[in-house]
Amino acid sequence: MSAEIKKVIFSILDKMKNDIELDVIIDDYLQGRLSAAEAEALEQLRINDPLIDHKVVTQKAFLDSLKQYGDRLSLQQQMERAHLQLDVASLSEQLKPRTSYVVKLWRKNKSAFAVAAAFLLLTLSSIYSIQHSTFQNGTYEVMRREITNIKNNQNKLVRTINSNSKEELGPIKNAKFGGTGFALTANGYLCTNFHVIRDADSVYVQNNKGESFQAKVVYRDQQYDIAILKITDEAFTPLANLPYKLKDNNLGMGENVYTLGYPKDDAVLGEGYISSKTGHAGDTTQYQVSIPINPGNSGGPLLDNYGNIIGVITAKENQVDGATFAIKSRYIMDALNAIPQDSLGKKVVFAKKNPLQGLNRTKQIDKIENYVYMIKVYN
Amino acid sequence: MVSNKLSDSVPTDREVVLGILNNSEDALNRLYIGYFPMILQFILNNNGDEDDAKDVYQESIIILYNKIKSGNFELSSKLKTFIYSVCRRIWLKRLSQQSKKTSNLADFEDVVAVDVDIEQHEEKDLQFEKMGSALLNLGEPCKTIIQDFYINNLSMQDICEKFGYTNTDNAKTQKYKCLQRLKKLFFQS
Repeated sequence: MSAEIKKVIFSILDKMKNDIELDVIIDDYLQGRLSAAEAEALEQLRINDPLIDHKVVTQKAFLDSLKQYGDRLSLQQQMERAHLQLDVASLSEQLKPRTSYVVKLWRKNKSAFAVAAAFLLLTLSSIYSIQHSTFQNGTYEVMRREITNIKNNQNKLVRTINSNSKEELGPIKNAKFGGTGFALTANGYLCTNFHVIRDADSVYVQNNKGESFQAKVVYRDQQYDIAILKITDEAFTPLANLPYKLKDNNLGMGENVYTLGYPKDDAVLGEGYISSKTGHAGDTTQYQVSIPINPGNSGGPLLDNYGNIIGVITAKENQVDGATFAIKSRYIMDALNAIPQDSLGKKVVFAKKNPLQGLNRTKQIDKIENYVYMIKVYN
Repeated sequence: MVSNKLSDSVPTDREVVLGILNNSEDALNRLYIGYFPMILQFILNNNGDEDDAKDVYQESIIILYNKIKSGNFELSSKLKTFIYSVCRRIWLKRLSQQSKKTSNLADFEDVVAVDVDIEQHEEKDLQFEKMGSALLNLGEPCKTIIQDFYINNLSMQDICEKFGYTNTDNAKTQKYKCLQRLKKLFFQS
């Protein structure tokens, strides 16, 4: 530090005894009116004495806001002068909203109109729904098929394409009604719908190879529309272990499902998804499934992606597209439990692990196909 | 609705920014006259009158001015769009303060998201008013001395002559006392 600056510092320190003097020095410093030596000396003092530094900073802040005030004031004066040059009245005459009466009315009362429109809509829709109550109330159409007329049609077809028809090994006469069923045990217990075998004099079941076996009805449950058949035919040889399991817990909406059934003489695959957890008119014993089915599908198994049986196809809504109903698998088990255990042999059970799990759809069907039967009813 | 054409005398954006940086009154003047009709139209069509338009417009110009002066102004959109967007935001805020319907503003220009801190601007507004009233309360001749020295950058010599002080030291002491009183008034209010 040069001797000169030291001298200046001492002179400033000397003046500092008087507060006014210090303020004047700071003021001059901020205005840039100090000599270079004096400025350097003051900066030195600021470093050494926080009190002085603080004074400088607050003074600077205040002067800055004073300066800003001045700037702003002159800006506002300039703008006022500019504003005077404008002819605001004629401008606003030119620019003001020019809308027709109708548009103005619309703008002002937009929300009122909206409320009125909404009310009107609501009224109309409620009137409509009173007249045509909108929930699914189409008639419940069970899916057994009346074979005779279809069969006749097919017979004609068979005559023209003779080689394609499978040889029927069972009784020669035509069945009256048809449905689908699937094996519950290896020794020939089958599950189908009650309505399929209702009024039956005799029941035959036919597997995918075309072999027919006589069967008798061993359990009927009209309430849940479930029936259990037992193959009594002597030609019947016990099946291999069942590839599928029953699945008890409820499936969620959107779960992909498929069914195998006999709407014609060969098995037909139908694929869809659970569209509701309740069936016709809110029936909790059923699922609503969006799956294309036809007469003859009744009693077919409804399987999930993993090959678990989750229900039995029963019926469809005839006024609603894609509303098929399937009884939940729990009621199959209830029906099975009604039959003496020792006669059942090895039966299908609820299980977590399933041999079909992980197989692709084609492989699953390959295995299941042998356990799904066409039910033929004579009366 | 057809947006009315603005007059041709609107300066280019570059001219405005440079003009404001150089304290050109002409640039500001042309800017002011150039874009006022746009804002007038906007306010008139959204439940406001001429005075509202003037108020909002001047506020947006002050914001623009401060932004340019502070040096961190980047011309990311057209000035016209910037001013319009700022005015739109200010007006929306005022409308909501008056709890008027603000659901659908009738727009006449493009709107950009402007990173302008309206609250910060209002804070500055408050400071401005505080300083104004402090100066008013300061009374004469202090007010003029302070303004001449700190705002108009007159020298002590000029002030001496203007107010008839016998020497600059007297004027300095007077100015010092005035400043102290102004500080007191400013921080008290």
